[in-house]
Amino acid sequence: MTTADRRRRLWQLVLAHGEGGEPTLAHVCAALAEVALVDGAVAALASSATVRATVHADRIGAKVEELTLTLGEGPGVDAVVAGRPVIADDLRDRAAAERWPVFVPAAAAIGVAAVFALPLRIGAVRVGVVTLHRGTPGALTVAQLSDALILADLLCLMLIDPSTNGRHAGQFGPVDGMHNPEVHQATGMISVQLGVSVDAAFSRLRAYAYGHDRPLSEVAADVVARWLRLEPDTGDGQR
Amino acid sequence: MTDIQLPDVFVEMADTLVADFDVLDFMHLLTDRCTALLDVSAAGLLLSDQRGTLRFAAASTEAGRLLELFQLQVDEGPCLDCFHTGQPVMVADIATATDRWPQFAPVAASYGYAAVCALPMRLRSEVIGALNLFINRVGSLAEDKQRIAQALADVATIGLLQERSISSRDILTTQLETALHSRIIIEQAKGVLAERLGIDPGRAFELLRDSARAGNRKLAELAGAVVDGSEQLPVPADRGTGKGER
Repeated sequence: MTTADRRRRLWQLVLAHGEGGEPTLAHVCAALAEVALVDGAVAALASSATVRATVHADRIGAKVEELTLTLGEGPGVDAVVAGRPVIADDLRDRAAAERWPVFVPAAAAIGVAAVFALPLRIGAVRVGVVTLHRGTPGALTVAQLSDALILADLLCLMLIDPSTNGRHAGQFGPVDGMHNPEVHQATGMISVQLGVSVDAAFSRLRAYAYGHDRPLSEVAADVVARWLRLEPDTGDGQR
Repeated sequence: MTDIQLPDVFVEMADTLVADFDVLDFMHLLTDRCTALLDVSAAGLLLSDQRGTLRFAAASTEAGRLLELFQLQVDEGPCLDCFHTGQPVMVADIATATDRWPQFAPVAASYGYAAVCALPMRLRSEVIGALNLFINRVGSLAEDKQRIAQALADVATIGLLQERSISSRDILTTQLETALHSRIIIEQAKGVLAERLGIDPGRAFELLRDSARAGNRKLAELAGAVVDGSEQLPVPADRGTGKGER
């Protein structure tokens, strides 16, 4: 299956969970749980290991997130700190117990046997983490992991710029701009131009592209070529 | 670096892999050494993003980088064929490959390349990336050089699987994700520097890379510090036009 086909299939699945309405974080989390064959997925905004805010959770997922917050340890914490996926496909094994001595028994007590934490980030833009959990141990297959990573990317974009949820229908196609180095270079340039964080700069770049109904890559190329400069305080950007 | 020998390169690679190392720095080093060791004009490396797509990781020269990005953009070329089939691709004369790669072949020729070789980065049944060699003269890469190139591609795979404490699948996932985001941070840092110092992104990369080397820092770590503003790189007096990427 090509990447484009895979993305289309996943997007259809998100839409199906949305039952015709505008897709939300909850729908993406539900799709994530479905494709990864886990019991649930919980998405949290996380600016650091200790500052987190749950934005969507299933019942058990909310408990996992609560444990993570109160105990300050677990795969979700490590994923945020290290900025990379943390896979704990069997919480009963010794390595897991040694790594998270408080979290592991607490998770077992609520019936969680496997946790997969995927950071939501685009380079230096760090948004949060999505944590998948399952009552039975076992690894994700390569295909499940692929699907989960693609949907985590989508969650990341939705969290960066909540106002553009509905527009992902078009943007979640084969070219979403994330593969284009110029998009990231433009983000860095805009952060200096506006004196804002890269998070805010990326959000502004996207808002400008949507506001002018132009592809992200094209707008980014204009910024890098210095044909376009975003100005402070112009909403989503009149030139 | 023309007299570089195979044993030197393997010793250097092994040294790097033993120490606490940065995946992308390692990939850059590898592409550099490929050109010296194999007498090719440029080398580039693409990695799977585990979402079914290849992404640019490293290249020895700007031309190499542009050709790798071009293949990704038009979705054709030796690196992609190699990735999809898991088999080496050797085309001794790019001029004969216009049917196979109608977009890639003329562009590669316009950069002065006459032959191209792509080697898979394989991990058991899975292909996780590809190493691309661009050659400025017609002719196959000699058999022994192809074998060395494949060995270097295998070393790159091993580099991705450095930590041994957890299963290789998890390491692969975390390392590929780390490399992917490190690459993005470098692009973001290039943008920050380009804007702040009024230089082009290619020059910004050289500055970043030279500073990382001079301070014995990891490239991605320094790039992260540039992006979050905790590190300001000065413009060096030497404004030479190197062969860095853009």
